[in-house]
Amino acid sequence: MNHKSTRYLPLVVTVGQVVIFPYYIIWLKEVSLTFTLFAWFFATFSFAAAWGYQIAQSRTNKDHSYIMFIYAGMGIVYILIGAIKNSSDILPYAVILLQVILGLLQGYFRAWHAEQDTYHLHAVHHYLIVGCAMIGFSFVKIISPVVFITIFGILMCMCAVWELFRKEKKKTIIPGK
Amino acid sequence: MQTIALLVKKPWFLGSLVVIFVSVILWNIPIEKRKYGLSQSGLVTDYTGLLPERIERVVKAENRSDLQRIVKRANVNGQQIAIAGLQHSQGGHTYYKNGVVLDMRTFNRILEIDEQQKTVRVEAGATWEDVQEAIQPVGLALKVTQSQSIFTIGGSLSVNAHGRDIRFGSMAETVKAMTIITPEGDIKTVTREDPDEWMKYIFGGYGLFGVIVDVTVEVTENHLYTIQTEKLKIGSYASYFDQLLNDQHMAMHYARVSVAPNSFLDEMYVINYKQTEKRDYTTALKKEQSVRLTKLALDIGRHGGALENLFWGTQKRYIASIDGKEITRNNAMRSESTFMEYTKPGRVEVLQEFFIPVHRFEAYMNELKNIIPANDKNDDFKIHNITIRYAAADRFTTLNYAKEDMFGLVVLMQHGLKEEQITEATSVIQNWTHLTLDHGGTYYLPYYRYQTKEQFRRSYPQWEKFAEEKLRRDPNNVFQNMFYDYYVK
Ligand SMILES: Cc1cc2nc3c(=O)[nH]c(=O)nc-3n(C[C@H](O)[C@H](O)[C@H](O)COP(=O)(O)OP(=O)(O)OC[C@H]3O[C@@H](n4cnc5c(N)ncnc54)[C@H](O)[C@@H]3O)c2cc1C
Repeated sequence: MNHKSTRYLPLVVTVGQVVIFPYYIIWLKEVSLTFTLFAWFFATFSFAAAWGYQIAQSRTNKDHSYIMFIYAGMGIVYILIGAIKNSSDILPYAVILLQVILGLLQGYFRAWHAEQDTYHLHAVHHYLIVGCAMIGFSFVKIISPVVFITIFGILMCMCAVWELFRKEKKKTIIPGK
Repeated sequence: MQTIALLVKKPWFLGSLVVIFVSVILWNIPIEKRKYGLSQSGLVTDYTGLLPERIERVVKAENRSDLQRIVKRANVNGQQIAIAGLQHSQGGHTYYKNGVVLDMRTFNRILEIDEQQKTVRVEAGATWEDVQEAIQPVGLALKVTQSQSIFTIGGSLSVNAHGRDIRFGSMAETVKAMTIITPEGDIKTVTREDPDEWMKYIFGGYGLFGVIVDVTVEVTENHLYTIQTEKLKIGSYASYFDQLLNDQHMAMHYARVSVAPNSFLDEMYVINYKQTEKRDYTTALKKEQSVRLTKLALDIGRHGGALENLFWGTQKRYIASIDGKEITRNNAMRSESTFMEYTKPGRVEVLQEFFIPVHRFEAYMNELKNIIPANDKNDDFKIHNITIRYAAADRFTTLNYAKEDMFGLVVLMQHGLKEEQITEATSVIQNWTHLTLDHGGTYYLPYYRYQTKEQFRRSYPQWEKFAEEKLRRDPNNVFQNMFYDYYVK
């Protein structure tokens, strides 16, 4: 059981992120006032991801990770995106903050995932699953991208809780470790 | 290259990169997010979006004969036309239910600058900014404009606007001649001496008496002024202003009144522009400056209470800091406006202006304290800003707001859009108008019509003449708008 969740949680997260990406892009385009701003928001995400990646890479104790918080953080950000009002005056300012947080978390997750034994196996699986999922989603009528984004946020929060249980269990099975 | 590769491995470096990049973006997020006007699909609104209405279509004329054809056809087909400039008016003045909106922005050419006579002939869809750009290089400046230069000439004359100038009287007085299209579709060039008195009705006529096609306005030298600022108590303002008016060196003036709880309607700042007699040909027209900072300060003040005190403190410091600086006349007539942007869902920010005879000012301000609370932090209806301008007596236009020399109190206010919130705002503004009328004052008509029809009639006793002339000159009711519908019809 433990073994399985260690294997599958990162796969769920990776697949989920790629699947949600087109919906996220639609949302981001809607809330960016201009194309320039849209592109800049994206650049922010990339820079923040590089930063997050380096933070994860430069941890001294590789056994120790904050992956549970990373899942929870991503989940909260996606839920927030679902809750935010499109017409709000502060929207572009909120978006830039969310882009930084999301980039940071994404970069950190990538670096951590790459360190896992299952990473290469996941890479192949995730491409296949994403392909199938997108074909499936093409039959679903999108009412608003925000609905999917929120659902994904909830899923990420569930992953965080799952990870928490897994850790707690591990602690009780191997005390002191 | 190696250093870069090394740096990229450092989280602190990447973190700093993100912080710098984000700061640059934050600085460049556009402030103006409002979508209003003719581009709204299906419905038309003006600046506040308070009165959305379905119209038949928007037309843009290519040239004068096109314009004439549109008006003539409307007479035949029984169509209604509303005229739109830049739609900064706030009470449906530029559209009418199921009517045609005539978008005048295509008529924006500067036709002639006469440096000798000091006049400019300009099409009515041009903005004051367009005129300033054309006349600044030859050392000329406008005589009368609003505090900002973002409005069209046609829109400004149709409300007979006023601003910071204290020497040249009303805007209407600065027009020598103009070309109009009458409601029956005739093209006419009219002057002040015109026996048919078209100007009397077209100025301050809210687009109801015909289309202004072009105007010849008087301009003056673009002088350099020294800014003088001073802190005053409200009680001493009227006499202070009297002296100021007698000092022929003073060219322009306005004032800011505190609406902060600590100094509410008690403290004020005056800003004067004093002649240096130096004419300016070289200073560039200023662009909007420090918009973000000013917006941030206003946003802070918008919360009311202690934060409003903080905002007033910042304003005072800023005003004191410009004392003694020099500015050209053109630049003094083009204040920033973008910082006022406010697009919070479910709320609206609007302007109102009350005119009060100069000699009644002190008593009026004292009584005003009973109508609006000093601290509106917890109220839905909030007041953010009051500025004062001088409006010289105008005995020319029919709907004249300045029957004698007046101070205009321009008030920036905010309220919610729920029914009870609008009702509350309406009640406060009606009480305020009532007080103003009791002191022999009036209120300005380009803004949202919170006032009653009765209050309109008291403010503008010549309204009957206005209505009568409207019917006589426009028997087919070609020119219509929501303003006319509400107040006059
Ligand atoms: C932020 C702000 C600051 C302001 N400051 C001042 C100020 O300092 N002083 C002041 O006096 N006013 C001020 N106003 C009010 C402003 O002057 C008027 O609303 C003015 O009418 C705006 O010009 P516009 O081009 O947007 O006109 P619009 O709103 O487009 O039109 C106003 C009226 O003019 C008519 N009209 C427009 N063009 C023509 C034409 N070519 N022929 C015939 N009729 C026409 C329209 O039918 C309408 O009735 C301010 C308004 C705002 C929003």
